[in-house]
Parts: sequence; structure tokens; C-alpha cells
Amino acid sequence: MTFHSTTGRIARCPSQYLYPTMRLFWEFTVRSFQRHLTYRAAAVAGLVTNFFFGILRVSVLLAILGEQESIEGYGRAELFTYMALTQAIITYLSLFGWYDLMNAVHSGEIATDLLKPMGFVSFWLARDVGRAAVALLLRGVVIMALYSLFFDMVHPTSVAQVTAVAVSLILALLISFGFRFLLNLSAFWSPNARGIGRFGFTISWFFSGFLMPLAFFPAWVQQIAYLTPFPYALNVIVEIYTGQLTGPALWQTLCIQLLWGLLLFTLAHVTLRTAVKRLVILGG
Amino acid sequence: MWHTLLLYRRLMSVQMRSQMQYRTAFVLETLSTAVIVAVEFGSVALVLNRFGGIQGWTLAEVAFLYGMSETAFGFMDMIFAGFDPPVFGQHVRRGTFDQLLLRPVNITAQVMGSEFTLRRLGKIALGVAIFAFAVQANQIIWTPLKLAYLPIVMFSLFLFFGGLFIIGATITFWTVDSIEVMNILTYGSSFTIDYPMTIYPDWIRRFFTFVVPVIFLSYYPALYFLDRPELAEAPPFAPFLSPVVGIGLLLALRFWHFGIRRYQSTGT
Repeated sequence: MTFHSTTGRIARCPSQYLYPTMRLFWEFTVRSFQRHLTYRAAAVAGLVTNFFFGILRVSVLLAILGEQESIEGYGRAELFTYMALTQAIITYLSLFGWYDLMNAVHSGEIATDLLKPMGFVSFWLARDVGRAAVALLLRGVVIMALYSLFFDMVHPTSVAQVTAVAVSLILALLISFGFRFLLNLSAFWSPNARGIGRFGFTISWFFSGFLMPLAFFPAWVQQIAYLTPFPYALNVIVEIYTGQLTGPALWQTLCIQLLWGLLLFTLAHVTLRTAVKRLVILGG
Repeated sequence: MWHTLLLYRRLMSVQMRSQMQYRTAFVLETLSTAVIVAVEFGSVALVLNRFGGIQGWTLAEVAFLYGMSETAFGFMDMIFAGFDPPVFGQHVRRGTFDQLLLRPVNITAQVMGSEFTLRRLGKIALGVAIFAFAVQANQIIWTPLKLAYLPIVMFSLFLFFGGLFIIGATITFWTVDSIEVMNILTYGSSFTIDYPMTIYPDWIRRFFTFVVPVIFLSYYPALYFLDRPELAEAPPFAPFLSPVVGIGLLLALRFWHFGIRRYQSTGT
């Protein structure tokens, strides 16, 4: 089985050395990457808004900090870093909502997707990786650079720390994807699953540490939060980036991230199997 | 005029009936708008409770600002939903706005009646609850003037947000797509006034005083209602400017009519 690309890119990409499924995965990722890359103007336009809201959010945190040197390891520089990172990551993890799969179910498009010669979950993951890669390059990196120009921030100081951040970011995407995929599967059960989706995303803001750094919450809230996968998609990235998580604790965190990622990915597979049995496509 | 009002009522009841068709979905959507406010305010409450407030403002005092903003914005978002820039932008993009223009009825009433998001009642209910908590916990010393002034402030804030939506919608005549920067004015001002204005950098405070003067609709009146010490430093008329700023809505309507006169269809 061969797959031909209209862009002629195929000869140069490493996919030809991979197994067919991995090659397919790669091809879907690249297509998705190229498609999302066309929204460059939107990314630039979004910068102003992103920056403005970032400043509003950090003002609240700085006011809570007040005259104190730091709260739970968060000084001024850490708060600026927290704000920049969380603002930079919004699109990468689709924090404000992702309803593509839901829409495909409701429109019936899903019928052709299910026929593709590739695992359905992997197919969506491939597309999401392409989307996320663009988000990271066009928005994430640019936003981090912009904030660094204006504010004193904390940055990773060693190659090892940079690597840890990178690994953590990748695992966070896997966790976030699994969660979003599961949330979207609710469309199989309800013709109006948007409400459920919005509900889920809102809960994730709270527990992931997007609304407030988790360390600012009372201890009991933090304990509950760390029982869920959400802090492992966001809050830990900040703590690794700012150097608050190091040594054995860092290794442990990365392992838990991996476990949550695999668990959600498996759950997505299992739930999908039940969901597809219920699927009825109307019309054509 | 009478005819227009009747028509608007008609459009609204059609909207409501259609949204009530799927009872469970409606309840879920309404709940989800409430949950958003609950979670956002909940996180603020947990943190302020732990650290004893923010720049000398107690949680109850912040709740006064928060409840006022959420309630007014919720009502506006429900009633002015037709002007919500992303929603209205679709009418312009798809050319359906041309259809509205062809009908021999008031265009503003048609756009207002084209969308009435009943699910916002969830957000409104939560906003009212937060405000009620604030009124009760702050032990406000009520005077007849305060009692009379409170609904005026709320209504002005509501109209003010509505004006921002109308301006955002009008801009889509030229940009076709709704522009993300508009969010700074709408959601930005609603977020900003959730907290005392003193926590922001000077340029942000100036922006929301002179460019988008929302400071007169929430922060200054709150100083007056809560008898905050900052009131002594503020200009004595500042808390009472809210009705004047609410009239800014009329300017927004002028801009809207100006936009309609200049409107060139996308041709779709």
C-alpha cells in the first residue's frame, strides 16, 4: 500500500522508513499541520487580545501577592511566568473548547472517518498533533517571546530542564487529547452535547490550575485536584518550567503524566467501541 | 413604534419556544452557564478567603463588584445576543443580513429578536446569588438615595455592555469576520470590573476610564455603596456618572445606523 502526496513532500519525510500505520499517522499530522498553518493572520490578531487578558489576570495575582516576597514558591517573576505560560498554552491544549469530533458526529461526517484504514482514535490524535504543533509555533512560542520582552520571568536554566519541559508538554497534549476526545464522545449519546462539553472544559480550568495557580488554593482543594488528570496537563508544566519541581519529584510527575495519558487514551478506545454501536447515520 | 414592539415580542416568544423544545438539553445548557460563573467565582473566593482579601478589599466587597458585573453582563448577553459580534458576523458573512434589510420592519428590532439566549438565565441566577451574598455580608448602610440609585447603576451597566455589543456587531460590516480584539472591550471590561480598579497598572485604569469608561459603572458606585475609604480621594461626582455613561448606548446606536447606511453586502 502506498500513499501519494500531492505536495511531493513524501520523499523527504521520515515516514517512508516507518511502518504503514505510523506513516499514515505522520501523513495525517502533516496535512493537519498545513491546514492550520493557513490561519497565520488570526494568530497575529489574537496576540493583542491574549496579551491584554494576560495582564488583567496577572494583576489579580500580583495584588494577592501584595507586599509579600512570595506565596508557596510564587514570587513576582514566577507569577509573570505562570501567566505567560498559561496564556501561551491555551490554543495548544484547546483549553477554551474543542468540538470537532462532536461536530463530525452530528453532521454524519464521522461515517467516512470510521472507514479510514486507520484506528479512529489514532486518526484524530494525528490531526490533533498537527493542530497543536501549529498552535505551539504560531502562538505558544510567539507569546512566550513577547511576554519575555516586557516582564521579568523565570526560564529553564539547563538542557535537562528544557528537555523535561518538552517531554511534559508532549505528555500534557496526550492527556488533554484523551480528555477532549472522551468529552466529545458524549455526542453519541446526546444530540445536544455542547452543554456537557462546556461543563467539562469549565471544570478542567479549575482543576488544571488555569484559573489560579493550584498552590494558591487551600490544601484540601489541591489534594482533590491532584487526584484528577487536569493538573498534569497544565499546572505541572509551570512548576517544571519555573524549577519548582526537580529531582525525584520531577521524575515522579512525568511518570504520572504518562500514566494518565495512556489511561485516557485507552479509555477513549474502550468508550468509542461502545459508542459506535449506538451510532445511527441519518441521510447521506 | 407600537408595531415594532409587538413584532419584537413575537420574535422573542418564538425564540423561547424553540429553545424549550428540547427540555433536557435546555436545562443542561442553562446549568453550564451557571457552572462557569460558579467555578470562576469559586476559585477567586477560595483564594481570597485563604489570603484574607485583595488590596484591602474583603471577599464580600469583591463579591459586590463581581455579582454586579456578572448579573448585568448576563442580562445583556441574553437580550442583546443578536448583536453578539461572532453571531452577527455570520449574518454578514452568509448574506442573511441582506434578507433582514429587505423586510419592511425596523432592522434593530429584527436583529435583537433574531437571538434570545434563554440559557443565560443560569449565569444571571448565579450573578444575583453572588450579589445577594455581598449585600448581606457587607452590612451596607442603606439610605433612600442608595436604594434608588442601585437599579439605575445596574441598568446603566446593562445598557453599556449592550452598546459595546452593538459597536462590535457594526464593525463586522467592514471586517466581515468578528475581530478578536473586540473581546478586549466586551469580556475585557466585564473581567476588569470584577475586581477593585486599583489593582491594575495605570494605563489599564486610564483605558477603562477614558476610552471605555466602565469604571464609572461599577468601581466608583461600589465605593459609594460600600462606603469605602477610597471614596474620599475620588472626585465627588464620580460615583454618580453611571446614567450618563449608559447613554453612551445611544452613540452606539448612531454608529450602528451609520454602519447600515454604509453597508455593502458580501454578495453571498
